[in-house]
Amino acid sequence: MPAKPIDLGPLHFAKRGDAVACLNDMLHRYDVGDRVGANDTVILRAALEHHPDAEAKKGCGITHFSVRTADFGTKCFWLNRTDGTTEKFSHRACIYGT
Amino acid sequence: MSLVGLQSWLLQEGIRDDLDAIIRLTVRTELDNLVPEPAAPSAVAIDWPRLLLAGSILARSDQRIDQEAALRIATAAISLTDDQALKDAGAVLLGKLSNFRAITLANDRRLLTAGLDGRLGVALRLESQRREMDRSILVESSGAWLQVNDFQQRFWTNAGGGSWLSASAPTASGKTFLVLQWLIDQLSAGDTRVAVYLAPTRALVSEIETTLQGLLGKTKRIEVSSLPLRDKYEAARAGGAQVILVFTQERLHLLANVLGDAFSIDLLIVDEAHKIGDSQRGVILQDAVERASRANSKLKVVFISPATQNPEALLTDAPDGVQTVAVDSDAPTVLQNLIVANQTQRKPKLWNLTVRQQGSTVPVGTLQLASTPAGLRKRLAFIAAAAGQRGGTLVYTNGAGESEDVADLVSQLLPQPGSIDPELAQLADLARKGVHPNFRLAPLVERGVAFHFGNMPSLIRLEIERLFRSGKIRFLVCTSTLIEGVNLSCRTIVLRGPRKGIGHPMEAHDFWNLAGRAGRWGNEFQGNIICIDPEDTEAWPTGVPSRARYPIKRESDAVLELGDGMADYLSRRGVSDLSSLKDSDKFEQVGAYLLTTFMRLGSISAASLSKRHDAASLAKLDQALAALAAQIEIDVDLTTRHPGVSAIGLQRLLEAFRSYAGDVENLLPAEVASEDSYDRFVTIMGRINKHLFPAFEPEKVIRLYALIVVQWLKGFSLAEMIRRNIEWHRTTGRTYSLPVLIRNTMELVEQVARFKAPKYLSAYMDVLHMHLRQINREDLIDHGLDIGTQLEFGISSRTLLSLMELGLSRMSAVALYEKIARDDLSKEECVAWVTEREGQLEAMDFPVIIVRELRERLLPLDDVDSNSTA
Repeated sequence: MPAKPIDLGPLHFAKRGDAVACLNDMLHRYDVGDRVGANDTVILRAALEHHPDAEAKKGCGITHFSVRTADFGTKCFWLNRTDGTTEKFSHRACIYGT
Repeated sequence: MSLVGLQSWLLQEGIRDDLDAIIRLTVRTELDNLVPEPAAPSAVAIDWPRLLLAGSILARSDQRIDQEAALRIATAAISLTDDQALKDAGAVLLGKLSNFRAITLANDRRLLTAGLDGRLGVALRLESQRREMDRSILVESSGAWLQVNDFQQRFWTNAGGGSWLSASAPTASGKTFLVLQWLIDQLSAGDTRVAVYLAPTRALVSEIETTLQGLLGKTKRIEVSSLPLRDKYEAARAGGAQVILVFTQERLHLLANVLGDAFSIDLLIVDEAHKIGDSQRGVILQDAVERASRANSKLKVVFISPATQNPEALLTDAPDGVQTVAVDSDAPTVLQNLIVANQTQRKPKLWNLTVRQQGSTVPVGTLQLASTPAGLRKRLAFIAAAAGQRGGTLVYTNGAGESEDVADLVSQLLPQPGSIDPELAQLADLARKGVHPNFRLAPLVERGVAFHFGNMPSLIRLEIERLFRSGKIRFLVCTSTLIEGVNLSCRTIVLRGPRKGIGHPMEAHDFWNLAGRAGRWGNEFQGNIICIDPEDTEAWPTGVPSRARYPIKRESDAVLELGDGMADYLSRRGVSDLSSLKDSDKFEQVGAYLLTTFMRLGSISAASLSKRHDAASLAKLDQALAALAAQIEIDVDLTTRHPGVSAIGLQRLLEAFRSYAGDVENLLPAEVASEDSYDRFVTIMGRINKHLFPAFEPEKVIRLYALIVVQWLKGFSLAEMIRRNIEWHRTTGRTYSLPVLIRNTMELVEQVARFKAPKYLSAYMDVLHMHLRQINREDLIDHGLDIGTQLEFGISSRTLLSLMELGLSRMSAVALYEKIARDDLSKEECVAWVTEREGQLEAMDFPVIIVRELRERLLPLDDVDSNSTA
């Protein structure tokens, strides 16, 4: 199966696996409790557009992203909405659509 | 024969038999459930005139053993005989011992017939009146004359002027009462604007604060506070109401941090000053005294300690030129009967009781238990329940869990009360609402039994202590919190194999610090210390300790005397992997103190402690400290703000901030209301462990610590934290035991949220602020309430702070805050909020004890009256 390219904001990835690796690297640059920086936010916003539940996840609008605790002592990206609600999301789901 | 020789002969031979007889008889009156001994000798067979004459000879001695015998004779003459002349003679003997409170007690109990003075001959009357005048002091603030004992008088006489004073006397000598009177007198009469009263625990802080407020009554000229905030301090300095600040040593440092260069106090009283030798916190106390003394060279310091060997040791750090005086007393004020209990052979319900008195032993009888005591806890509980049935009975246990179990056993032996006393019902209600509906304390207090340990919320603990003093709680089962500084005396204390902390057998001075609480001077003539299984070497590895006084030794000196350990630790402290540090429990705090001292003076041989250590070991330490100091660019002012936190740790943290690649905003704690807050604390605690000091270990528990810190800062009530903890256990399918879960939550709040977190997070913030200033990001520095103070009190909103500034306990403040919508109310606005709803307070479903506190602190009736008449 040919590699499927994907664009995340200014970044172009020839293979989806590369995009996931990029987001993995990004995740691990942060400690839990960190707010995601401006440049990375652009990429995450773009990634979220590819999420199968993109509209539901975005809801009333996103103010910023955070890195927080996930299950089993791991960490993941969380989105924070303008109404004060917050929800975690899988960056792999953004890339692979499942 | 010399007087001393005569006194010695009297005790050993002259009156030995009669003395043993009255020991037996007086002790028997103290204990319940003794098997009757109709054939035993009675008081009638005693040669009272001879005994009383001997008593008056012994009263002239300054030896404790002689004074005890004289006190025993006086007490026996008053309480065992029916002859008015003998009773009068007993009262005169008490007068010779300056024990006026005991005479008052005898009068109150109608053991003496009124009009004693009229029955005395002229010479005796004159002597008695002269003694009463000699033994009176004038309290200038109230204009009242106070009758005092020898110790109290010497304290009062010597405490004036600018000298440093160290006073030591056994528990029940009226130390605290007198010192508080003296303190108020100093503020009323002198130039003292700001006085600080240091107490070692938050429990004692609340107690002293309450007592002071009671003594001061309605006066507005002197304020009392236990919050390290600048308002009252600045008002006092500006000529407003003078202030007495009641603090732990940590809070004194917090105040000094808030005030910076303006910090200067006039008078410092250090209560339980022997705790300068405590592991880890002793050096923080020493540092606090030195810091206050550096800030004001004219500072007057008064140290108070219970039955110490060497109170003068505390005075060696007084500045040059300041006079010092030690006031020491070992005189008994109340009889203390050391009783050992051994099981009668093959009869587990019968226990032989024997009094041990300076070398002699006197059998006093057999105690009959209600039930067979299978197991050690039952033994302790059943003996206490039997011997101390009339109440005022303290039972010592070696841990919080055990205290709950023993209290439960004691309660089962008591008759079911017909109705529950309203005050006990209110305390039970507070325990159910403030902790948990099934908190074990609640049903126990309804039966007049309670347990007591350090991590309990102060409102509950203070109420337990109050009701124990008043007699409504008849049995109190306690833990070592009581030796850590709670002013609580009892009639009878029952112990078996007491330990201090986890597993360490109690040393003699600790045992006597605890046992010394038996005997409420002015309320009882005698106190009883019942030691179970004295021959059991597991319970008592070195036997029941003989009377001993506490040797004062600073923690810093004790650690330095260990040899090269400190220098070795310091030479390893600069390493990058902190997890490899060994012995940090022993060395970290003192090491931090030495490093800061070195940074301030350039050599610790210039410090006061150098007087007490040899030059060679000081030189070795200097070498190790110089190597560390050379790596440190953080200034000494910043390290001084964080006693017990090592400057090299602060330096490493600064370096970590500098090399941090991410957005610098992520180094700051997030607002507690924000979703990031919990995770941010997880990361910050990890950072502290890695660079500053491994304070939040083990690493896998950091998440729990962070959760507790966030809940605490959010102003959650203890009950809510417990409820959520239970919920978490249920949703994750984990098993739990409710009493253990309750105790663990209390412990996490006290030890992590209120002790470790403020200490290390405030250091973290200070270094971060330094870094932010260096990189020109001062815009990120928040100048609000510092994190240390927020954590100490468990508040992050203006309203909660205002409520606590008004004097509410956190429990009451949080309960009230749940009803107040706004989070930004000032003190005045809080008072207005409550005043508007005054009539509805009872309907808001607060526990009665909380409503009482709200009314006392927020709705002072006299204010309402004075407003209405104005």
